[in-house]
Amino acid sequence: MLQGWIQIALILVTVIILTPLLGKYIARVFLHKTTLLDPIFGPIDRAIMRTIGIYEPEGMSGWQYIQAVLVSNIVMGIAVFLILFLQPILPFNPSQVGGLSWDLVLHTTISFLTNTDQQHYSGETTLSYSSQVFALGFLMFTSAATGLAVGIAFIRGLTGRSLGNFYQDLMQSITRILLPISFMGTLVLIAAGIPETWLGAAQVTTLEGATQAIARGPVAHFEMIKQLGENGGGFFGINSAHPFENSNGLTNFIETVAMVVIPASLIYTYGLFMGNLRQAWLVYGIVLVFFIPLVIMTAWGESQGNGQVNTLLGSMAPNLEGKEIRFGWSASSLWAIVTTATMCGAVNAMHDSLMPIGGFSTLLNLFLQIVWGGQGTGTAYLFIFLILAVFLTGLMVGRTPEFLGRKIEKAEVILASVILLIHPIAVLIPTAVTLLLPEDLRGISNPGFHGLSQIVYEYTSAAANNGSGFEGLGDGTLWWNLSASVSMLLGRYVPIVALILLADGMKLKQIVPMTDGTLRTDTGLFTGVTGVVILILGVLTFLPVLVLGPIAEAFQLSSGL
Amino acid sequence: MNSQITTLQSEPPRSPDRKGRQVSTKGLYQRAVKQAFLKLDPRVQLRNPVMFLVWIGTIVTALVTVNPNLFGNATDKNPMVFNGLITLILLFTLLFANFAEAVAEGRGKAQADSLRATKSDSIARKLSPNGSIQEVSSTALRKGDLIKVIAGDVIPADGEVTEGLASVDESAITGESAPVLKQPGTDIASSVTGGTRILSDELVIRVTADPGKGFIDRMIALVEGAERSKTPNEIALTVLLAVLTQVFLIVIATLLPIAQYAQSPVSVAVLIALLVALIPTTIGGLLSAIGIAGMDRVAQFNVIATSGRAVEACGDISTLILDKTGTITLGNRLAEEFIPVNGHSLKELAQVALNASIFDETPEGKSIVILAEKLGASLTIDRSVAIGLEFSARTRMSGTDLPNNIEVRKGAVDAVKGFVRSRSGKIPDELDTQYESVSRLGGTPLAVCQNNDIYGVIYLKDIIKPGIKERFDQLRRMGIRTVMLTGDNRITASVIAAEAGVDDFVAEATPEDKIEVIRAEQAKGKLVAMTGDGTNDAPALAQANVGVAMNSGTQAAKEAANMVDLDSDPTKLIDIVTIGKQLLITRGALTTFSIANDIAKYFAIIPAIFAGAGIGQLNVMGLASMQSAVLSALIYNALIIPALIPLALKGVKFRPLTANQLLSRNILVYGLGGVVAPFIAIKIIDIAVTAVGLA
Amino acid sequence: MQETLSRFWQKRLPRALLLSLLMAVTIAPAVQAATGISLDRGQTFAIVLLGMTTLALSIYLFVVIFQPERF
Repeated sequence: MLQGWIQIALILVTVIILTPLLGKYIARVFLHKTTLLDPIFGPIDRAIMRTIGIYEPEGMSGWQYIQAVLVSNIVMGIAVFLILFLQPILPFNPSQVGGLSWDLVLHTTISFLTNTDQQHYSGETTLSYSSQVFALGFLMFTSAATGLAVGIAFIRGLTGRSLGNFYQDLMQSITRILLPISFMGTLVLIAAGIPETWLGAAQVTTLEGATQAIARGPVAHFEMIKQLGENGGGFFGINSAHPFENSNGLTNFIETVAMVVIPASLIYTYGLFMGNLRQAWLVYGIVLVFFIPLVIMTAWGESQGNGQVNTLLGSMAPNLEGKEIRFGWSASSLWAIVTTATMCGAVNAMHDSLMPIGGFSTLLNLFLQIVWGGQGTGTAYLFIFLILAVFLTGLMVGRTPEFLGRKIEKAEVILASVILLIHPIAVLIPTAVTLLLPEDLRGISNPGFHGLSQIVYEYTSAAANNGSGFEGLGDGTLWWNLSASVSMLLGRYVPIVALILLADGMKLKQIVPMTDGTLRTDTGLFTGVTGVVILILGVLTFLPVLVLGPIAEAFQLSSGL
Repeated sequence: MNSQITTLQSEPPRSPDRKGRQVSTKGLYQRAVKQAFLKLDPRVQLRNPVMFLVWIGTIVTALVTVNPNLFGNATDKNPMVFNGLITLILLFTLLFANFAEAVAEGRGKAQADSLRATKSDSIARKLSPNGSIQEVSSTALRKGDLIKVIAGDVIPADGEVTEGLASVDESAITGESAPVLKQPGTDIASSVTGGTRILSDELVIRVTADPGKGFIDRMIALVEGAERSKTPNEIALTVLLAVLTQVFLIVIATLLPIAQYAQSPVSVAVLIALLVALIPTTIGGLLSAIGIAGMDRVAQFNVIATSGRAVEACGDISTLILDKTGTITLGNRLAEEFIPVNGHSLKELAQVALNASIFDETPEGKSIVILAEKLGASLTIDRSVAIGLEFSARTRMSGTDLPNNIEVRKGAVDAVKGFVRSRSGKIPDELDTQYESVSRLGGTPLAVCQNNDIYGVIYLKDIIKPGIKERFDQLRRMGIRTVMLTGDNRITASVIAAEAGVDDFVAEATPEDKIEVIRAEQAKGKLVAMTGDGTNDAPALAQANVGVAMNSGTQAAKEAANMVDLDSDPTKLIDIVTIGKQLLITRGALTTFSIANDIAKYFAIIPAIFAGAGIGQLNVMGLASMQSAVLSALIYNALIIPALIPLALKGVKFRPLTANQLLSRNILVYGLGGVVAPFIAIKIIDIAVTAVGLA
Repeated sequence: MQETLSRFWQKRLPRALLLSLLMAVTIAPAVQAATGISLDRGQTFAIVLLGMTTLALSIYLFVVIFQPERF
């Protein structure tokens, strides 16, 4: 029991120690200061930039930045769509997998393009190596880099800097951050036994003499960027529960830390951009105050097991349904919270089998989107909540509310509100529509409160660009592919546009000097207020769903019905 | 009414007759009740997104009251009674919100009526270019027309005196009963306001505003709320309220199928009740009342604001630019001490000073005479044979020419020096030392001479207004910097600045310097407020973010300013700043309260309506039944609006604290209070509702 | 603004109401078929109208959010 808690603590401490180190490095990269990697990647950067016709990267205006994000994403999306669609006639298909339906291709493309990585298929039996590596592996880098670039452009604008050049940011996110870290991580994963091969499935003869095909492939590098870029789309259908994706305690440790390290460090990076590390650590504190109780609640729930099962057993046993024994309740619980908090979406245990309190916690993460949050965007959302908290409470000090010395006015409230609004729109409306559909279209495997959780989880995971599934849902259908795609697109691009426009507007505002009449945002009091605002705006929106889903289920379980 | 504002004033309160107009509130509430019903018109409701939703909700619940099976077979107990009660409570929610607005408007109207009483249509004597007089209605006057007014007339329009000299009774607008002398040319005294009465003689006035465009008209429009356009903060808040409403609309609309699926169907009436409970009706219903009341408060303070935006901007002011004279110090300096030089005795100096001041009618001059007489000097010469010389800006001296070619003078030290030199007198070194020592004390030194002999220095002391230092301390705590402008020399200015406790000062300032100071502050991102009265203040008033012109000031100054103080009291700028802040705080506090209430309402309604889903244990408040829980939450939601009307109209009590102190205080009261209060109130209402047997 | 609003009340509102009623009549049978809930014709029609009212309110709120000055 104690060992499990120590495992959790060890990972948390590692992340907190890494935060200032990586945070400083990311800030150096995006403040265009020299880094150790410049001699290697500098020439490559320049060569790539020249190829696309950029000789001297210039700062972009808000709409230029948005245009660059959208155009580059559309181009990448079309390319990946074609690779996936033409899979049967493309090379690197040793296992001879066939073609995919257009709606699955569309869903998969959008899913990886939006950093969601929701999968309505099993990788090992559905995709060829070229689809996995050149289509999805490629998007894993670029979608993560897009998020990072937007997150950086956002803080640049808030602090009065030029938004920067999207293409340069995109490339440097990859060459200075994602590529080097995943390269090192991949080497460790390979050493720990994760395969990296272009050979097809291994044909082995089992002890009983039967022939078995064991799927394998270029997994190790795919796995690392999947975790680091908060992508979460597994090479194999069962994701990181598969021994070839996540073979032992060491790989599990690395993969857990990799999920959370960039969003955690990015808060520190924001602090450096603002020149106010105190503010950054306080924001970090808000996240921890949400994160740690959720981990403890979930881990406690899993360690106590299912009361009804325990009664039958006559003793207390942890809930191990849907878990890998090599990870146990603690590493699985921590992973479940980290993966939903960071919008990674990789799983090493089935969330469908979590105790209701775990289901509640994972859903809550997806509703809030700021407990670490998505690559780049999560930290930006945190600051959106700060802005909303400033606006709500700032009036109470008798002045037009200000954040970082800039006035929060109509335009900022509208744009922040758009981000606040899009989540319930992209989650609740499709949920309601699905529930109105005839029964056979819904694909619910487990009717009742749990079935509701399944549907809500699917759309929330899509809209939050998380990608994990509650599983158990028959989601490989036309309806699910298309409706989830809409949620993913809304949840990704609408906030990105709003973030960039907000940053662009803030950039030009005149700084109001700090006086005693200015509401300080880097105080414990204001941080507490922000926490409550996040709870009220984030949770109250989804409370009815939470009540009718996991909470009702918890009461149902405890009452023994 | 003014108690909130006067907490800041350490000065004795102004005499009652100056404390704004007492407006009649007779019949105000009856009229407001009538208005509350008239405002149910959808075209009125459409302007307030939150209340418009309640309006639509009321209609839908009314429909299910008539036919409970309209949207599906009713499962509630006594659906007609229950839905009927919900409809009734929703209707009252609307009426309460309308009532709040109507009361605020009614008070504004009363304020406007008392202003309008001064504005009755009158006959004006219009001067034609050929000099003939034509009688026209005052409403037919246009800007640029010349009119003639004679004793007893009400001046028909705002204007500038071009000819004549007359005393005018301005008590109708200022409350000040002493008549004011008006004459052309002089900056201050040449402007007249429509609605005031000329008491003696006659004046020719050039009309400076078309009828309906004068200050009074603008004020009437503002306090009536007719011309009220939303201020920037109000607009941003409207957006936020609309967003919250939108979020909850989506939540509730999608809850219908979700609850259906979870085997806990909820009736449409209950869903509408939940929606209304969750959307921010409290602040939505009171928002416009807060804004109107804010304007009304400004008006009660006898200040005319040209827009709500200007009042709101006051809250953001971070620098106040204040003239020394009249604002920081009492207008008049008084003789404090005589300091003889050149070997003269004190008594000799007193005598010369007395002689030099016998024709000086200014308060300074009179105080010199009093001090000299106290020191034993007396009037020995015959006034009829002496000639008084008035102070002029060119000579900067005044004095008396006595018989026998004796010339006595008093004035600015270098001016007197020049006078003595021109009569080949000697300047004692002592003079400069005394000059400096008086300056260092913060006084104004006047040199006194008789012919070419300098007798000494009069120490004129500036009297700092009592309590002003404390007010500057309060402003500093609120993060507002004060800058004093004065024509005095640096040394004097620095002493007075230190004594009054201002943060900065500009010495030897000309009116043109004002605009420079304002620009410099604005370049640092600060919002600047200032007062002014002269024509040469006009550019600075226009440049300042908040410019308050004195009513006694020139028409040009009033045009350039965005507020006019009818009492011509420059200290009021500080009060206006607090009114602006109070307005924002009230809005913020009620918004926070309204949103914090949602937690309790959720806890009241959700466990009750989903009791079927086995979550009865979440009913932490122990409410009696589903129906009583819904009704209690709704009744609370409706009653909280009238309960908060006094606060909305009066404004949250303003305290001069730093932003962080204010935040912790207000969060405690309105945030935490907003979380806790409804839990208690809903529980009490639930007990009452159950006892009465409503549910 | 005043003008557009008053014109809306005079001309566009009746037309919008008529169109929405017609639409509700068209949609209602489809909804009735799609949902498993047993409702009679009138109830389905009422629910569809309610849904359309909600949609209209939502659009109205979006207008308020993006152009608050008009209100």
